[in-house]
Amino acid sequence: MATPPSTSAPSRSRLIPVRSRDAERPPHQRRRRTRRILASEGVFDSIVSLAGLLGRPVRNQTGQEIGRLDDVVARWADGAMYPPVSGLVIRVGRRLAFVPASAVDRIGHTEVVLRSARLDLRDVVRRSGEVLLAKDVLDHQLVDVEGVQVIRAADLYLAEVIGRIRLVGADVSNATLLRRLGPRRWRPRPTPDRVIDWAAIQPFTDAAKDVSGAATTVRLKTTNEGLHRLRPGELADLLEDLRRDERRELLAALGPAEAADALEEMQPEDLEQLLRESDPVEAGRLVAAMEPDEAVDALRDLPLAVRGEVLRHIPAVTALALRELLGYEENEAGGIMTTALVTAKSGDKVKKVVDRLSEARAHGADLDAVAVVDDDGRLLGDVSVLDILLALRASTDTRMSALLGDEDVVTVNPHTSANEAAAQLVEARRHSMVVVDDDGCPLGRILADDVLDALVPTKGRFHFPRLLS
Amino acid sequence: MNVKVSRRWLIYLAAAGPGLIAAAAGNDAGGIVTYSSAGAQFIYRTLFLMVLITVAYVIVQEMVARLATYTGKGLAALIREEFDLRLTAFAITAFAIANLGLMVTEFGGIATSFELFNVSRYISVPIAAVAIWSLVLFGSYRYAERIFLLLTVVFIAYPIAAVLAHPNWHQVAVNTVWPHFEASKSFLLLAVALIGTTITPYIQLYEAGAVVDKGVKPENYHFQRVDAITGAVLAALVAMSIIVATGATIGGTGPLTSATTAAEGLKPVAGAFATTLFGLGLLGASALAAAVVPLSTSYAVAEAIGVERSVSSSFRQAPVFLGIFTFQILVGAAVVLVPGNLITLILNTQVLEGVITPVTLILILVLANRRSLLGSAANGPVARWLGGLAIVSVAAVAGVYVVLTVLSWFGLG
Repeated sequence: MATPPSTSAPSRSRLIPVRSRDAERPPHQRRRRTRRILASEGVFDSIVSLAGLLGRPVRNQTGQEIGRLDDVVARWADGAMYPPVSGLVIRVGRRLAFVPASAVDRIGHTEVVLRSARLDLRDVVRRSGEVLLAKDVLDHQLVDVEGVQVIRAADLYLAEVIGRIRLVGADVSNATLLRRLGPRRWRPRPTPDRVIDWAAIQPFTDAAKDVSGAATTVRLKTTNEGLHRLRPGELADLLEDLRRDERRELLAALGPAEAADALEEMQPEDLEQLLRESDPVEAGRLVAAMEPDEAVDALRDLPLAVRGEVLRHIPAVTALALRELLGYEENEAGGIMTTALVTAKSGDKVKKVVDRLSEARAHGADLDAVAVVDDDGRLLGDVSVLDILLALRASTDTRMSALLGDEDVVTVNPHTSANEAAAQLVEARRHSMVVVDDDGCPLGRILADDVLDALVPTKGRFHFPRLLS
Repeated sequence: MNVKVSRRWLIYLAAAGPGLIAAAAGNDAGGIVTYSSAGAQFIYRTLFLMVLITVAYVIVQEMVARLATYTGKGLAALIREEFDLRLTAFAITAFAIANLGLMVTEFGGIATSFELFNVSRYISVPIAAVAIWSLVLFGSYRYAERIFLLLTVVFIAYPIAAVLAHPNWHQVAVNTVWPHFEASKSFLLLAVALIGTTITPYIQLYEAGAVVDKGVKPENYHFQRVDAITGAVLAALVAMSIIVATGATIGGTGPLTSATTAAEGLKPVAGAFATTLFGLGLLGASALAAAVVPLSTSYAVAEAIGVERSVSSSFRQAPVFLGIFTFQILVGAAVVLVPGNLITLILNTQVLEGVITPVTLILILVLANRRSLLGSAANGPVARWLGGLAIVSVAAVAGVYVVLTVLSWFGLG
């Protein structure tokens, strides 16, 4: 089976045949290189394939076979970039036994040699912070932070680094899958065609369950720093490709603000799935952190019962605003507007307005202008943020009334159709316009990008349809 | 009804669907032809077998829904994660072959329905292949899907037909309740076909995928279970009503060989329009499945080799997907164009399904038994035995058939 070339993982080592797409990427995507373990020749020569090692004999010093290798335990609770191997699980007869890493003399391509002739076998006890590489990581989903893709590890590579055997890389090539399907003697040969350095990988720990199957309460905090350098759109791609538990973990690692930004970029159907499968408390936290207009779009896609459940876990003020927006149709001005609106009285000084703007910084992208209202809350005019800042430079005492121009302010009614609103915005040659109710009081703001979203048909990007749903 | 209860039911409605739709999709061209053939050949004598198949089907669908709900993963991904890679490759290959067989069935269904309206298959099949290929790839698929689904509603006519045909209810009841089989090779062949068409592997993958897509949470699993079980039972009831309706009208005429005969099962309800009604329903069911089956293969392969990424990315970036998808439509259409009896071809592909089904079923049982995967939701001792018994029986029927077939190749059968 050929791999789609586009999804090929950029390999990170200068020694490994590079099939990187970095050259094709826009500059901001060419990521900062850190010194990587796989890039040093010595390490690369000595890497051991986990898939090839499984089932191989474990011998003592005299060369006598004690058992067969069943799994390798790695410890990644300490936040080490390359998780150290803390022990081996060996099958002795019908029984599984644990051998600590300190008792291991050498891990070769086809055998493991222990340090002592005599061995006291201990029962396997899963300690928190440890993972079974063959059972929990091999063949499971991982995130390649640098290549910005979700992968399934076809093989894992081990090597001795800084005095310990460590997990150094994940292999994602299909040739490796074929090697594992082929005869046993092919298997130990590493085929490092497309290897991703472990430092670029965000692993998951959901599989870390105790014997009874219940998920352990210990959340392992090993967030790859690179995750925080990704753009929201890239995070959205990752979230779309992950499965529920992994997705949940990634969201937790990001924190609500960063996660909400990513959610705004997700495909509607994937976002719907994500919110439905999340715990309502968690979903509420995420939706509350999204921009109001995006949050409303997301809520609109949810079935009523789930929507109500999520809204119940959103802070009252935000929930009220969202419920109000939900009252509008999707193709109306009210349905595409954002309620992240900064207003000012005509008598306010620009200094005070700028303070208010900086409080609203979280909605940065939605702040284009400030709606100026009279004492009854009716709209008088719309002053761009730039004008306000320039006025502030001239004098902090300027009042907003001085900034109101002569021309009529462009407004729409919330029930105007989105198409008509778009036409008005285009005609007015502005970046945004204010939505006002029948009394002339501002309700929200429509930005040029909202209009774009409403106008650009959803086709263009190709999708295989989900199965019937 | 108080507020709390009504909210619970709203959540149920939100979770409903996958099981019901899977059930509707299960009664595809293969199903209709096989059930009609059962009625034509054995009258009501396959009804007890259908009861057993229904029990197995319900057990399997429930396990699949449980796996999908508790793990949030599709079946192919679970198989890759939980089993040896070689076993994964074997299971996925088997699944792909079964689906290829289904594609032949569906195009066979399309060709048959057009032949009822006097359109040659050399015209209808190529056009249908291109139409389905482009519908799925270029967007308007959602609307098409609804039209196909609407057409399949035609088959609700079968339960009515079953009543209007005035079957001998005493015989129907006895044959349903009283355990009996026939020790003939033709009965065994039909048994395998009935198993294959009812417990089709793709329905299991579809059910899992749809449950995952719906984002069903473990807390709401009891609703999903209701959905999975009602879906399976409804599908079986429709299947049995097809057998009764055809049994009462054309029972005893021997194995089905033509669609016109099959359409007579609808005569009690549609009279002179039976053929039209049957043709439209068959077309809808076949076209719907012809679009969904290749998609489900593509998803399964992508999940198993770990290129899920390409599913949601752009057209040019999904060659594996596009390749598998196109290949299946091409093969399905091409095989149907080979001259021969379409009804017999459809029946034979159902036998192929029946032989492959046990592979998926055994893996599903092992997965649902695993406490390391499902925790307290894993099969308890009763479910283990019941599930095991059901699946072993299915596998045994298929196994006996395969052994007999192989023996007959050497002139021993």
